[in-house]
Amino acid sequence: MDGSRSVRFRGLLQALLRHGVDFFVVGGVAAQLEGAPIVTFDLDILYDKTPENLDRLLGVLQELKARYRDPAGRHIEPDLVRLETMRTHLLLTELGALDVLSQIGAGRTYRDLAGRTVLYELGEDRVRVLELAAVIESKEQANRDKDRAVLPVLRQTLVMKTGLRRGEENT
Amino acid sequence: MDRSTKPTPRPPKPTSDLSAESPDGVDLTLIQWTLSLTPLERLELLQDWVDGLAELRNGRVSER
Repeated sequence: MDGSRSVRFRGLLQALLRHGVDFFVVGGVAAQLEGAPIVTFDLDILYDKTPENLDRLLGVLQELKARYRDPAGRHIEPDLVRLETMRTHLLLTELGALDVLSQIGAGRTYRDLAGRTVLYELGEDRVRVLELAAVIESKEQANRDKDRAVLPVLRQTLVMKTGLRRGEENT
Repeated sequence: MDRSTKPTPRPPKPTSDLSAESPDGVDLTLIQWTLSLTPLERLELLQDWVDGLAELRNGRVSER
């Protein structure tokens, strides 16, 4: 993929699902799926670090011809050692930018957050997504400028989403 | 995504209600709109936004 094309969100998700990777969607795409109107240019996923899952993850990354987005322009591909030991993998694939994470926020892992996910049906695909409240917490903990910038929209969305849910329960 | 059969959901209607914005400037009508969509529609909307911005960045507009 050249830099002029944009990320293909569904294509990336379908590739991960096809390879049976244990992951869930976090970050901006999770927020959007939860109803927050924000724009993001990459797909962030949090992955489980079991040896079997690392093999599956590496398989899909190789299929997608993933390489690190290296400012120096070097061609560095992910491997099992990096996936096992590094927290953040900012990758460019044939289907666009994919951020593969083993921890988010204050060091929270797949296992820490698996209980705070929701399952969404996207056409014929079923994708697990970090719930909006946990997305907000992760961004508060990360506390970078880009995280703080979207927090008002995320918090307001959570308020309105909770209000809608209560309204439905009362009818 | 097959745009010929699945048009982008309609955006919210303009409103003169000043309360459509939160005190810190968040557009509440936009949130109401996205909350009214299905998850798949939300993902397609994000894809449309990203594609549109990429077209602008590249200085071209494709016919839709």
